[in-house]
Amino acid sequence: MSHNDTIPLYQSSQSDIDEIENMMNGGGFQSGPGTVLPARPPSPTRPSIPVSSSSSPFVQSNLPPPPPSSSSSASQKVTPVPAPPSLPPSVNFGSSEGSKTTGFGSPPNTLTEPVWDTVKRDLCRIVSNLKLVVFPNPNREDPGKALRDWDLWGPFFFIVFLGLTLSWSASVKKSEVFAVAFALLAAGAVILTLNVLLLGGHIIFFQSLSLLGYCLFPLDVGAVICMLKDNVILKMIVVTVTLAWSSWAAYPFMSAAVNPRRKALALYPVFLMYVSVGFLIIAID
Amino acid sequence: MDPNQPPVENYANPKTCLFHVLFKGAALAFYILSALFFNSFVIIFVVTVLLAALDFWVVKNVSGRILVGLRWWNEINDLGESVWKFESLDQESLARMNKKDSWLFWWTLYLAAAAWLVLGIFSLIRFQADYLLVVGVCLSLNVANIIGFTKCKKDAKKQFQQFASQTIASRFQSTVQSAFTLV
Repeated sequence: MSHNDTIPLYQSSQSDIDEIENMMNGGGFQSGPGTVLPARPPSPTRPSIPVSSSSSPFVQSNLPPPPPSSSSSASQKVTPVPAPPSLPPSVNFGSSEGSKTTGFGSPPNTLTEPVWDTVKRDLCRIVSNLKLVVFPNPNREDPGKALRDWDLWGPFFFIVFLGLTLSWSASVKKSEVFAVAFALLAAGAVILTLNVLLLGGHIIFFQSLSLLGYCLFPLDVGAVICMLKDNVILKMIVVTVTLAWSSWAAYPFMSAAVNPRRKALALYPVFLMYVSVGFLIIAID
Repeated sequence: MDPNQPPVENYANPKTCLFHVLFKGAALAFYILSALFFNSFVIIFVVTVLLAALDFWVVKNVSGRILVGLRWWNEINDLGESVWKFESLDQESLARMNKKDSWLFWWTLYLAAAAWLVLGIFSLIRFQADYLLVVGVCLSLNVANIIGFTKCKKDAKKQFQQFASQTIASRFQSTVQSAFTLV
């Protein structure tokens, strides 16, 4: 009965009062915006990327087909249309009483999703980040958008893999090679990010770490090839090509982050780091 | 589990609790015992850090959700700013969480961080820089989880208070409105 108050009180005309009376007399079901209440939010196992905590988008998607559950469907067609803006507060109110698995305004579908969905989501994110960064694609012009969903798993795997490959190729001092490679890459990424930040650039710390890690992928490929074939000339060619590829991958993101006059200052250390890793790959035997 | 105990005292999610403890314990055990078996630093490093990373993922994505109903992550919004998001179940579900589960969750988190700290001090005393690296990585992963979940818990409390006051206000408003419309 108290649902009438959630209908926006626009200029009451006779037809509206008729509507309201219809609803009040229309039986026990919770009417008005309540025509959408029975349509509960979709089951919790929806494997979606966590949406930002604006109010319940999953409710909005249920609105378009209002179930014609009552005879006076003509009059009720009018109500769902003005109802949407005022719907979220009342539905949140109702849904938090009804289903125990919903939370506050933000859809907590990620809280109740099965584990396998989380794993799949993270793996897909790694693959898509890799494709965005390393391979040519239209989003490169807008670097801020490209690595929106940063993650550190990809970089972690690539750095460890590179260290392992270098350590495997080395015939002596395997442990030192690995430790040096890992420390160089990890500390290098952190320092490069700090460099950009200190140059007055606008980049987010983790996003940059993630980017520099993903750009190691070409060097990983190069290191594997060099490990399999021991020819010096081939190694130099392969390393040069992969080095160029890595630098090309990192260029738009780093250059967009800083003042154009300071682009070279930001890009040169990145290039230097990749060159030193390249030398490490060539020099290992 | 002791069958004579009343069921309410047992763990509600034994498998999740097991995994929560498993990777932490495995990382610590491997690090401590590996010196006896392996001479190679590389294997120790890679396996320990891998186990610690798996533990981080499990705690953040699985046991945090299931044992205490909390979740935290970072997003970059359209303006290009980084935003930390905290998410929790509603208060009724939180109240229904198994007490033993959440006790286990928080205490193993703190104990693991303390253990890594102690191991770090040992390797500092022995001037082993590369082992310090391993300990540093594992410790930072643990601490990140602790900070994230603590913030999430505080945020959940704050949200509940806001929600409660909002609910009271909207109920009050609706009763006043209905009083006026019926007049």
